[in-house]
Amino acid sequence: MSGAAALVSTLARIGAGDRDSLKMLYDATSAKLFGVILRILLERGEAEDVLQEVYITIWRKAAEFDPTRASPITWMVTIARNRAIDRLRARGSRPTTTLDAAAEVRDAAPTADVAIDAVNEALRVNAALATLDPRHAAIIRSAYFEGLTYEAMSEREGVPIGTLKSWVRRGLMRMRTVLES
Amino acid sequence: MTELDNLPEGSDAALALDFALGALDGSTMRSVELRLRSDPVFAREVARWQEQLGPLSGEVAGVAAPDTVWAAVDRELFRAAPPRVPAAQSIWATLAIWRAVAIGATGVAAIALGLLVSRPGAAPVAPPGALLAASMASTDSGKAVLITATYDPTRGAVILTPAAADASHGLTPELWVIVGKDAPKSLGVIDLKDPQAHRIPAALRARMNSGATLAISLEPAGGSPTGAPTGPVVAAGKLATI
Repeated sequence: MSGAAALVSTLARIGAGDRDSLKMLYDATSAKLFGVILRILLERGEAEDVLQEVYITIWRKAAEFDPTRASPITWMVTIARNRAIDRLRARGSRPTTTLDAAAEVRDAAPTADVAIDAVNEALRVNAALATLDPRHAAIIRSAYFEGLTYEAMSEREGVPIGTLKSWVRRGLMRMRTVLES
Repeated sequence: MTELDNLPEGSDAALALDFALGALDGSTMRSVELRLRSDPVFAREVARWQEQLGPLSGEVAGVAAPDTVWAAVDRELFRAAPPRVPAAQSIWATLAIWRAVAIGATGVAAIALGLLVSRPGAAPVAPPGALLAASMASTDSGKAVLITATYDPTRGAVILTPAAADASHGLTPELWVIVGKDAPKSLGVIDLKDPQAHRIPAALRARMNSGATLAISLEPAGGSPTGAPTGPVVAAGKLATI
């Protein structure tokens, strides 16, 4: 069974209320989700709180997961990103320790096993990103990995918001065309 | 859509993309979260962008989380510890108060419902923006309050807070509003498993006034095929200003 198929059946068992399966899922995916959350929040304590909320949300929503609509890892990463971004917005700004914390994140443990399936997908997406204007690709990456608003990115990059939105939207639509061709 | 022209600012297509990317400000994100629950077409478009972007997360290195995180998840979900209010600043944070209302209502279900339903005199008109709540008791007599529905006019959403778990296997709960002798108007299918805000179609918001009845019926998957309730009504209660 592929990693993704195993995750689908684990989520189905969690949806049916199987506690052991939640622990299995946690062991298989928590490093990945923690990495995603930490990249957005940079602050460990907060990231740990959010990670906890994410698995509680997964337990409660597992029965709603529809494998025909989403891949399991994307579904979980989406929950993690949304929670982390929520927290980031509530905080209003990033901590001042940005650079140190970011370095710590980069030096962290290797990718979890379940992500191996995702590697090919990631390569395809990267290939699609590589067809874009490098500035557009960079902005899309910033938004995705750092959870920044258009406003924050506009300030940081010194590019008007309207221009930035245009880059991002056109870039993502071009990516879609490349990925679907 | 396949053209590389820009998505028009303010369009649903642009909003779906911006939300999936995570580039919106906090309040816009929350309003989109509400909408996702009642607009399946829009939710599909968001999911499509999320699937497109999802593989990017493969680039993020995993970081082992400390054991205390699992211990906290385990404690919160499976151990008999006092419930902890989640610290998230999401829309659910504001639900704590309604949860408290629901818990309070459970103990005195019959009395609470009686008060809400039999409040005498002309139906008071709620001031603009006032919250309205209905404790929706199970229509199976003897059961506790099933759900507390709080209507927030500023959001145009009903926040549903289940007070007791309900097994409605294979059927989909659908929410209705009934004003006077009008036929019930569907407010869409809902999910009773989780506290949530359910967006009310703009055209129906005028009906959400003190004295209107909210009801939940059990319908086939996808909701009533006829536009009127076809299944059993499992809960009903009147809106009252709180």
